[in-house]
Amino acid sequence: MLTAGELALLGRLDLVYRRPQSGLYSGERRSPRSARSPEFSDFRPYVHGDDFRQVDWRAYARLERLVLRLYVAEEEACLNLLLDASASMGLGQPAKWGAARRLVAALAFLGLAAMDRVQVGTLAGARLPPLRGRDGVSRVWTFLERLEPEGGARPEDLRRQRWTRPGLTVVVSDFLVEGTSTGGVEAAEAAAGTWAVPLADLASRRQEAVLWQVLAPDEERPAASGDVRLVDVESGATRELTITPGLVDEYRRALAAHREGLARAARAAAGRFLHSTSADDLETMMLAGLRVGLVKRS
Amino acid sequence: MSLLVPLAGLALLALPAIMLLYFLKVRRPQLQVSSLLFWRPHVSDRQANAPWQRLRPSLLLLLQLLAAALLALGLMRPGVIGAAGVSSTTVVILDASPSMEATDVAPSRFQAAVARAKQMAGQLGPGQQMAVVLLGPHPELLAPPTGDPAVLRAALDRAHPAGGRGDFAEGISLANAVLSGRAGGSIVMLSDGHSLPPPTPPRALAPLAYESIGVTGENAAIESVSQTANGTIFLELANYGREARDLKVEMVADGRLADVLPVHLDGNTTVDLTWNHLPVGTRVLEARLTPGDDFALDDAAWLLTAPPPQRRVLLVTSQNAFLQRALQLRPGLELTTEKPADYRPGRYDLYVFDGWLPPGGIPQPALIVDPPAGLGPVPVSGQIDPGEVLPGNPQDRILQDVDLQDVHVQSAGAVRTVPPGWRAVIAAAADPLLLVREGGQPEAVLTFDLHHSDLPLRAAFPILIQNLLQYLMPGGFENQVFPLGQPVNLQVESGTRSVQVVTPDGRTVALPSPSTPFTDTTRPGVYTVRQRLASGTRVSRFVVQLQDPSISRIAPGAAPLVQAASRPAGPAPRGTLEIWPWLVAAGLGALLLEWLVYLGAPARRLHPWGRWRRRLEART
Repeated sequence: MLTAGELALLGRLDLVYRRPQSGLYSGERRSPRSARSPEFSDFRPYVHGDDFRQVDWRAYARLERLVLRLYVAEEEACLNLLLDASASMGLGQPAKWGAARRLVAALAFLGLAAMDRVQVGTLAGARLPPLRGRDGVSRVWTFLERLEPEGGARPEDLRRQRWTRPGLTVVVSDFLVEGTSTGGVEAAEAAAGTWAVPLADLASRRQEAVLWQVLAPDEERPAASGDVRLVDVESGATRELTITPGLVDEYRRALAAHREGLARAARAAAGRFLHSTSADDLETMMLAGLRVGLVKRS
Repeated sequence: MSLLVPLAGLALLALPAIMLLYFLKVRRPQLQVSSLLFWRPHVSDRQANAPWQRLRPSLLLLLQLLAAALLALGLMRPGVIGAAGVSSTTVVILDASPSMEATDVAPSRFQAAVARAKQMAGQLGPGQQMAVVLLGPHPELLAPPTGDPAVLRAALDRAHPAGGRGDFAEGISLANAVLSGRAGGSIVMLSDGHSLPPPTPPRALAPLAYESIGVTGENAAIESVSQTANGTIFLELANYGREARDLKVEMVADGRLADVLPVHLDGNTTVDLTWNHLPVGTRVLEARLTPGDDFALDDAAWLLTAPPPQRRVLLVTSQNAFLQRALQLRPGLELTTEKPADYRPGRYDLYVFDGWLPPGGIPQPALIVDPPAGLGPVPVSGQIDPGEVLPGNPQDRILQDVDLQDVHVQSAGAVRTVPPGWRAVIAAAADPLLLVREGGQPEAVLTFDLHHSDLPLRAAFPILIQNLLQYLMPGGFENQVFPLGQPVNLQVESGTRSVQVVTPDGRTVALPSPSTPFTDTTRPGVYTVRQRLASGTRVSRFVVQLQDPSISRIAPGAAPLVQAASRPAGPAPRGTLEIWPWLVAAGLGALLLEWLVYLGAPARRLHPWGRWRRRLEART
């Protein structure tokens, strides 16, 4: 699913978690909390009730003051990857499905390489058991390769997911769902707004939401013109149009409004929104992740 | 209301055709998309999806029908008939005098005038018409009155300077003819004021607006080049400007520079130069001023120094010194005199038979003097005593400068009937004495023996013989200098099959018939004439040169005077005011609106309901 070059690229990257992690097992992820570990973090004055075992006696000998040595806590982080496997993901030139799968595979690789607790699933409900360690990479890839884009996807699907532990939830989708019977800027804003409640619910479950939109280039700038009958691949709804330059301009304004609405909904849930196209290579997509602080150079 | 092109009403068929397109089912290609979310149902074009569906109202359809109807009506050129005061005709008189070729106004005065006329054509409003008169020596109507700028521009593209000064009176007369029966006309003259002024101001049916073309009067010219008997070249130069000039005269012999003569010309003066270094054997000498000035037509002059081609004349006579001497007076004539007994037919340009005719046919052209009785083209019989002679037609060019007073003929052959195609030039009472044949091969018959008349003793005799030679042996244009723009009668020789003239700019002009005058003399220089004869090709030359100092004085002149003429009484002429430009403009406007509506977004901004909805949304 990923080439050796792409794996080498991912080897130089790491995921960024904003929330304090509270995995069941200690892991390689630095925790904001201090704990016992081989890696020194800081000193602090002794207060009543502290564990005497953490007192730095050498410092006491020099300073005649009791100070405690603090160490970096390394904890296990939870990464939830949700892939939109609806039929619309199979469209585009190149198809969004391939790019979205590779993106999920790359993020899963980053999490598993960092000994995070990684769970991969689809918005429709299919899921893999939580995995940990590099051994899980092949299972994730096999799971992704067996998926096929079909059916639909709705914002409410997010609420049906089971969130057992706090963590980072990345939703990879085109986020194209029918809002109202009419199209245009107003409909796009309304459709983006339907993601706000599920994302708020996600936040209430201590999930840091990341919405990663993947669209095809011909969806960002439609090339069709003239008299056409458009068919929604998921709902089967049709619309007869005469596509003119003016209509294409309006399409692009609606797309921008939709993205703005998604970003607003994500920010309201203390999350992030980013987008890429199916023509982007993995390096470009990771650069987008770097830009919003989802990944960092290790 | 009238329709000038009713047949264009067929264009109204576009209306049902447009509606039919709305009725027809549109076959749309199907396109799968991820979502219809961003595609707003656009301005409905209302194409039916089933044949013969009920037509629903549509803004696009209405606009398309409106545009088609307006354009179709425009094609039919509807006009409102009314008093012609609403329409007007402008006659533009375009001066084509040679001075308009001055280049003090770029690219030239004439081209500037043409550009101005084109500009006026482009500014014609509905109902306005314009005609163009090209003012040459013989003014011509370049474009009849029309409101179509394209027609006017095409006509103006054909305009070119004439060789001679424009005849202003004739130009005004032509403009009057164009304006007669029209009201609200005007005459605009684009000129530098060098057209030929009439003795009295002509009457103009409309006010004359004069637009002066040209800015300067500085011009130097070579007035003439001539050669004296001893071979000295004589040049006359003139400076028509105010400023003194130091110039050079280049003497070019047969295309090769032979000498350069410096010359100083004060303002408004003439200078004479002589030159004695003409290379031997030179055929064409060109003198040209350098550096040139804004008027190039008079900056060069030519002299043809080669002798004209020799004409061979055979005189067959026993003894006639009078005739022999009169014939020899003509320069360039090679006279051969033979006794009748020695006569042998040969190649001669003219045969003169005196008192004798060859048996078995008379070669032509021929001058027959005192023919034997019963012989020749005009048989004579018996003798008459004519006494005093009279001209048959005093205006005859054969009798030009021929004074027949005190001319007597003692006896002459009697011509009973004048053969068809012949006419009498000199007669005594009812008896013709000199007859010439008109048309075909020229021939002349003098019915009396010159020794029996006192004509050879009169001054009229050599002149009559020269005129007869000119008639029988045309020519004489060789090596002559003709004024610019003047037609040249080439008077080619009998038996000429074709005539071609090579102009100074290298064009070859074939005359439609040998007798047609050559009129394309608008460029100064040496013209070469090629006559194809049975005996071969004869090449001769003549020169066309600007010889009019009034043209060389190129300073723009004053507006010519005209007299205002009252219009003929009667009902005011009625004209048609065409309204097609407004219809076409409205049709194009409807098309533009339809396109904006079709584009969508701008259409919503245009639509009042769209603006109200946006304001409402902004408040809520």
